[in-house]
Amino acid sequence: MNEVKSLFYRESLLEKLHEIQNSYGYIPEIEIENLAEKYMLPRANVYGVISFYSMFYTEPTGKYIIRICDSISCHLNQSDSVLNAVKSFLNLESHQTTEDKKFTLEIVECLGHCGEGPVMMVNNKIYKKVNKNTALEILNNCL
Amino acid sequence: MIQEKLYLKGDKLLDIYGYEFKAIKNALKLGRENTIKKVKESELKGRGGAGFPTGIKWEMAADIKAEQKFIVCNGDEGEPGTFKDRYLLEERPLKVLEGIMIAAYAVGADKAYIYIRGEYSKAIDVFLKTIEAARKEKILDDYFEGSDFKLELKLIRGAGAYVCGDETSLINSIEGKRGRSRIKPPYPIEKGLYNQPTVVNNVESLCCTAEILNPDSEEFSQLGIKGSRGTKLLCLSGDLNKPGLYEVEFASVTLKEIIYDLGGGLKEGENLRFVIPGGISTAIIKSENLDFPYSYQDFEKRGNSLGSGAVIAVSKKHDLLDLMLNVSRFYMDETCGTCFPCREGNRQINKILKSFKNDGKKIDAELVSDIGNTIRLAARCGLGQSSLNFIISVIENYQTDLEIGGKLYA
Repeated sequence: MNEVKSLFYRESLLEKLHEIQNSYGYIPEIEIENLAEKYMLPRANVYGVISFYSMFYTEPTGKYIIRICDSISCHLNQSDSVLNAVKSFLNLESHQTTEDKKFTLEIVECLGHCGEGPVMMVNNKIYKKVNKNTALEILNNCL
Repeated sequence: MIQEKLYLKGDKLLDIYGYEFKAIKNALKLGRENTIKKVKESELKGRGGAGFPTGIKWEMAADIKAEQKFIVCNGDEGEPGTFKDRYLLEERPLKVLEGIMIAAYAVGADKAYIYIRGEYSKAIDVFLKTIEAARKEKILDDYFEGSDFKLELKLIRGAGAYVCGDETSLINSIEGKRGRSRIKPPYPIEKGLYNQPTVVNNVESLCCTAEILNPDSEEFSQLGIKGSRGTKLLCLSGDLNKPGLYEVEFASVTLKEIIYDLGGGLKEGENLRFVIPGGISTAIIKSENLDFPYSYQDFEKRGNSLGSGAVIAVSKKHDLLDLMLNVSRFYMDETCGTCFPCREGNRQINKILKSFKNDGKKIDAELVSDIGNTIRLAARCGLGQSSLNFIISVIENYQTDLEIGGKLYA
């Protein structure tokens, strides 16, 4: 088999990173070392890839990752009131995790439900047309 | 009432056993050259935003001799306001699959990738199941219906990077690298994925090819007017009564009708200030200038672009500076940082807007426009090049209002 074909059949680094993150909740140092060996890359390179993508974490995150969209369409529909309510409820800023490792808050760009905003995502689940009350209700249900 | 023209949009298409794959079968019957000819004659332009003619892209890739060619389906839809590709991936994945197969057959590729942004977890689940079923049914991985065409398809999940919607960044991302853009030329059709000829097509573009080749929808290529053929999926959002996904025939409706008829006008009796016609990388169009047909050339005439089809209505109740800051923050966060003018320019714009907001320091329109021109000329990718279209157009259209006071309300 030629080299290009074998590259197609090889598991992509991005997919591998997703897999690791799915099992640990983040990408630990030891796995970065393993990946560097497997893909014959310097560790710094693997780390460079991880840090480029906002959905990859190298530190443990909360059990629930709360993503709130604040791109233009949600913003026009008062997403700021949702995110302010969530921020003060969790006492977090974006990219922070609660001490009890329950919640990580991410203020994110477009989640692709612009006709149904404001939009909030809890792990893989999408909530549409949320307002500050329903957003807090959703969080309360996670407690 | 405006009638939608439903081709791409429709009932759920998830059951592979009930799907006939008429378009790819027709393509196989026509042969490679005639398939490309049909797509060329349909005048299909890329629906991701750049609008490059799909048929010409295919023809160029088909003409190149190479041991390995790739098709990449670009499902990294990230332009704020856009959700058409998510709809197609979630509800009509078989059309997407068929489009990928047609493209692969036409250019002579036996390997393809579909790259779906990581945030689209439902679309990813649905499409993984589609691939699995297609493998089981020998639609993938095996010679299709006794022909000499065989395709292997892999799905790659993105991981949160707007810039990967650019084709060269997307290719780097599939290769497991940081999603930074590449210098063009060489274009991906010459040296793309793993340096092999690679055709990158948007999800909606590929679905259009599945209509163009389908004998049941032959009229699709005749819809619209010369230069703007077929239909377009519109993603309506913002301050509208009826936001959502609509499909219209090109040039059969005006932007005004899209807002007031399809979109149901503005909610809560608000007044429209402007429309962002194709996602935040396009320039705004003021409410009094909407009465023109929705077509590529009518946008071009106005120095604008229909972009990704994300039509965002903005009422007079919003503070313009707040909206500019929102868009500015987006580009500042999402620039990949490769090209200095885009990385630093977008930061400076944010600084200029913030010092206007916080210290009342006037916006120097000339400086903003200079930064915009520099980015447009020097950034490698379309995402960078178009990053200031929104902000510059707001300043141009509302300069006097912005000069009067910090905030602008109706």
